[in-house]
Amino acid sequence: MFLRWLEATILDFGDEMHKVYMWIWSSGDLGLRLLWHILHLILSTWYFIIGLMGSVESFLISSGLFKRYRDLDISKVQYLAVAIDSDEALQTLKVLELLRWLEAIGLRKVCLYDTAGVLKKSKEALTLLLKNERMSSETASDPLVEEKCLSLEVISFSDGKQAVAKAADVLLKKHYLSSNTEKPKLTESDMTDALGAIGYREPDPDLMLIYGPARCHMGFPAWRIRYTEILHMGPLKSMKIGALIKAIHRYTMVHQNYGT
Amino acid sequence: MGSSIIKSSCGTGGAYEELPEGLEKELMPKHVAVIMDGNRRWAKSRGLPVQLGHIAGRRAMKQLTRNCKKFGVQVLTVFAFSTENWIRPKEEVNFLMNLFEEVIRSDMEELIQNDVRVSVVGNVGGLRPSLQSLISSSSERSKDNKGMDMVTALNYSGRHDITEATKQIARKVKDGVLGSVEDIDETLIEKHLQTNVIEESSYRNPDLLIRTSGELRLSNFMLWQSAYTELIFVDKLFPDFNEGDLVEALTLFQKRQRRYGGHKY
Repeated sequence: MFLRWLEATILDFGDEMHKVYMWIWSSGDLGLRLLWHILHLILSTWYFIIGLMGSVESFLISSGLFKRYRDLDISKVQYLAVAIDSDEALQTLKVLELLRWLEAIGLRKVCLYDTAGVLKKSKEALTLLLKNERMSSETASDPLVEEKCLSLEVISFSDGKQAVAKAADVLLKKHYLSSNTEKPKLTESDMTDALGAIGYREPDPDLMLIYGPARCHMGFPAWRIRYTEILHMGPLKSMKIGALIKAIHRYTMVHQNYGT
Repeated sequence: MGSSIIKSSCGTGGAYEELPEGLEKELMPKHVAVIMDGNRRWAKSRGLPVQLGHIAGRRAMKQLTRNCKKFGVQVLTVFAFSTENWIRPKEEVNFLMNLFEEVIRSDMEELIQNDVRVSVVGNVGGLRPSLQSLISSSSERSKDNKGMDMVTALNYSGRHDITEATKQIARKVKDGVLGSVEDIDETLIEKHLQTNVIEESSYRNPDLLIRTSGELRLSNFMLWQSAYTELIFVDKLFPDFNEGDLVEALTLFQKRQRRYGGHKY
């Protein structure tokens, strides 16, 4: 919470500094301008140092120098969801890089989501590029290479609320309108089965990583996120493999009590 | 910077309340949802019985409600008891049910006197009859109140909410209340979710959801309604969640609103 407050405060501070700069510039005072430039240099150096520290940490983590991140128990993440802001999802190469990292970490089942369906359009390209990279690497001759490949599910908003509505429609028409049942008996299991019947059989994600400006799940299928751990990772353009490993490690340390 | 002055919404006629520094009335979330997690851990960390944790949680909830009302939040939804919580020890569950009855008799009564509209969402039929009766009575008596909406999720499950909405639609179609339904769509489901106890339709989905105790999940709470809800996960255990923490969460929400605007989805 504190780090988020700090981040927001720094961003707001930047806005205020811009207003101060405009005032100093219009005042014509050379001394003030010099002072401003010195302050700007100090702040820029500070931001640079922060960025550098983040990059160094990410490098150290990805190099396996931290034991706890090296011994990641990836088996705890059976199914990972990655929700990306639709505008940011247009950065196909960034998405590809993310998928490469996930595959390298050892994840096998990933669900990519964005609201507008941008990733659905890129799915073929992403799958092809990943496959080509695999085929051209040393592991191409490995008979188990297919098992080690990333299984990719790509969904959008229409697979969320609209899918539930379709499943509800199926249940209504198949079970209630055509039967003599006085009172509709409908359970959560029926809804899950109906979703399966119309093609939505994938499991609920254990962990969801959100890339984008908003800290929300952007309409990811509601039915599937009952117990999903949700982590906001920031903008896709700033993604770091160290942050990704940290997020997954954090999840593997979590104990879910499921209501107890 | 100073404080913003807002007109009180508590029905006391003309009284002005100050907003804490940094908060703006125009950017206040209309609907705040809170997963009140951490009562038991709070008690255990102090070597106290879990029941005292729930009592401390009750105090925190009362304060949370007062603060939300003071800051001009229109709807506060709190997650008090999940369908999954029945597996807790029987003694604890009985204590909680007794506590809920006591909360309705005294805390909710105070809210009703202050023009707050109180309602409960969840599988109310699965609760003990005495509690059902209290819920029904308090909802009825406050239905014409025009102040803040206070919604308590009791025996609630997000999936159950969606399933019940579908059941209701099926019932209405069978009974001829709903004309021939070509296809069920998400709008129709939304109209039948339990959060429709909130009169103002534009306030039914939370703008901000806060979960205490450091857990980073929704735990089957408002799954459908939270599609575009800003999620803030707080490390503090709920009994320790105070006005300052609420202000911090609201400030974060408002900073994000200023920077990125409302959701563009």
